[in-house]
Amino acid sequence: MNLSKQKSRNQKDSAMAGTKTNTIVTRIATYSILIIMTFLIFVPIFWMISTSLKTEAVMFDTPIELIPSDPTLESYKNLWSAYPFLTYLRNSIFVVSAATFFSVSISTIAGYGISRFKFRGRSFYMSFLLATQLFPSIMLLIPYYKTFKTLNLLDSLYGLVIVYISFTIPFCTWMMRGYFNGISRDLDQAASIDGANRIRVFRSVILPLAWPGIAATAIYAFIAGWNEYLFALVFINTTERKTVSLGIGQLIGEYRVLWNELMAAAFFALVPMVIIFIFFNRYLVDGLAAGAVKE
Amino acid sequence: MKSAFAKRESRSGMIFTIPAALIMLGLVVYPMLYGFFISTQKSNLIDKWEFVGAKYYIQLLTDAEFFGTLKTTAIFAACVVIGNLFVGLLLAVLVNQKIPLMNIFKVILMLPWLFPEVVVALIWKWLFSPLFGMFNYVLFSLNLIEKEVDVLGQPGTAFVGVVFVCIWKGYPIVMLMMMAGMKNIPHERYEAAAIDGANKWQQFLNVTLPGLMPVLLVASILETAWWFKHFTIVWLMTGGGPAGATELISVDIYLQAFTNFNFGRAAAESVIILFLLMVVSFIYSRVLRDESQ
Repeated sequence: MNLSKQKSRNQKDSAMAGTKTNTIVTRIATYSILIIMTFLIFVPIFWMISTSLKTEAVMFDTPIELIPSDPTLESYKNLWSAYPFLTYLRNSIFVVSAATFFSVSISTIAGYGISRFKFRGRSFYMSFLLATQLFPSIMLLIPYYKTFKTLNLLDSLYGLVIVYISFTIPFCTWMMRGYFNGISRDLDQAASIDGANRIRVFRSVILPLAWPGIAATAIYAFIAGWNEYLFALVFINTTERKTVSLGIGQLIGEYRVLWNELMAAAFFALVPMVIIFIFFNRYLVDGLAAGAVKE
Repeated sequence: MKSAFAKRESRSGMIFTIPAALIMLGLVVYPMLYGFFISTQKSNLIDKWEFVGAKYYIQLLTDAEFFGTLKTTAIFAACVVIGNLFVGLLLAVLVNQKIPLMNIFKVILMLPWLFPEVVVALIWKWLFSPLFGMFNYVLFSLNLIEKEVDVLGQPGTAFVGVVFVCIWKGYPIVMLMMMAGMKNIPHERYEAAAIDGANKWQQFLNVTLPGLMPVLLVASILETAWWFKHFTIVWLMTGGGPAGATELISVDIYLQAFTNFNFGRAAAESVIILFLLMVVSFIYSRVLRDESQ
C-alpha cells in the first residue's frame, strides 16, 4: 500500500527522489532503536534465566559465567521443596482472580450505566472515578489496616480481595465506559422498540459485543493485582497466606540471598502473566483504544 | 411524556451504577475520611485515641527533612514520568509504521509490563551487584571501568539506577495508551498532510501530536500520580538509602506507620500528598488544554 502510493507520487513529481533516501534513513533509525530496546529488555531476562540455572557455588564465583557452563535445574527443584512456593502461587491466583472477577463485573455494569443514561450525579461520578486515581493508595493503607483489624480481615486472603477490588474498580469502570461509548446506541434503541427492557438489552445485545473491552479491562485488573506488594506486605503475616509478590519480595531481606532460587521464583511468577498476555494480547490495544483513552 | 422518559432513564442509570457507587463509597470514600480523622489523632489504632488537631500538619510543614523527602520524590517522579512519556511515545510512533516485523516488536516491547514489580526490582538489584552482577562484569570486560561500581551503594548512582529501572518497567503502559490513541486519529488527516507536502516529522508534529493531546493529558496525570506514590521497586532495591538518596514519600509513610507506629503523622503525610497531586493534575489539565487549542 505504501509502495503504490510512493510510486504514484514519484510519477507525479520526480523531484521527490529525496523522499526515498529519507524513507531508508527512517527505517534504519527505527530498526536500530527497536533493536537496542529489545536488547535492554532481554538483558535482565537473560540474567534471570542464566542465574537460575547455576548452583550456589558457581553463582558466587568470580569471574562470573554469563552462560553457565554446567547448567542445572536444581534451584527450580529447591523452590518447590524448600519454600511453600506452590502455596504462594495458589494464593495469588485465588486473590487476583476473585478480585478481577468482581471488579470487572461491577465495572462493566457501571460503565454501561454511565455510557448510556443521563442521571443526577453522573458527571460528578465520572470526575470522582478519575480523581480516585490520584489518591495515594498508601493513604488507604492506615485506615484499611485499622478497619480490617476490627473486622478480623487482617492476615486474610479475603481482605486482600477487597483491597484489590477497591484499587481496580475506578480505572476498570472508566475503560468500560469508553468501550460502551464506542458501541452504537442504535442497537439499544432497536432492541428497546422490540420490547426488551434495559437490563435485557444490556445482557443479550450489548454484552456480547463488549467482550474485547472486557478482556482488556480484565488483563489490566489481573496485572495490577498480581503486581501488588505493599498491602500484602502490611496485611499478611502467615506464610500460608502469602502471595507470590510478597513471598519473593521477602526472600531478599534475609542475611544471605540465594539469588539462583530467587531468579527461579521470579521466572515462575512471570509464567501466569505471559500465558494471559499470549491469549489476550490482541484485545489489549483495541480494548484500550475504545476505552480509557477516549474522552 | 418527556419527563416520564427522563425519569425512567435516570432510574435505569442509577440501577446500573449504584453497585459500583456503593462499593466506592465503602472502600474508598469511607477510608479516605477515616484517614483524615486519623491524621488528627495521636493513636496506636487500638485503644489510645487523643485529638491533637493540626499538630502533625504543623510538624510536617516545618520539618526540613519532610521537604527533603518531598523534593526527592518530586525529582524522582518527574524523571520517571518524562522518561516514560518520551520512551513510550517514541516507541509507539515507531511500531505504528507499516513496515515489516512491527508486530513482533509490539509484543517484545510490552514484556516489562508483565513483570511484577517485585521481580523487576530483584533482577536489577542482582544485575547491579558489584561483585557478582552482570552490569559490572560487562563494563569491566569492555574496559569501561577499572574498579567495580556499587551502583545501588552510592547516593548519586543509586538514584539514577532506580529511575532507570522504573522507566524500564513503566514505559509500556504509556506506549499502549499512545498506540490506542493513534488508532483514534482519522487516517484522512495524514493523507491531507501528505498532500500538503509534509514529511514524516512534520506529520508527527502537526497531526500525531495534536491528535494525541487528550491521551497525553490522561497519561501525564495518571503517570504522575502513580510514580509520585511509588513504593515497591525503590523499597526493594534500596530501601530508601543510601543516605536517604532514594527516600520517597511512600517509603517514609510506610516507615512512619509500621516501624515507628506514628500513625497520625503518616496519615497526615498522605493527606498532604493527596492535595499536592490534586494541584498538579489541575495545572496539567490547564496547561495541556491551552496548548491543544
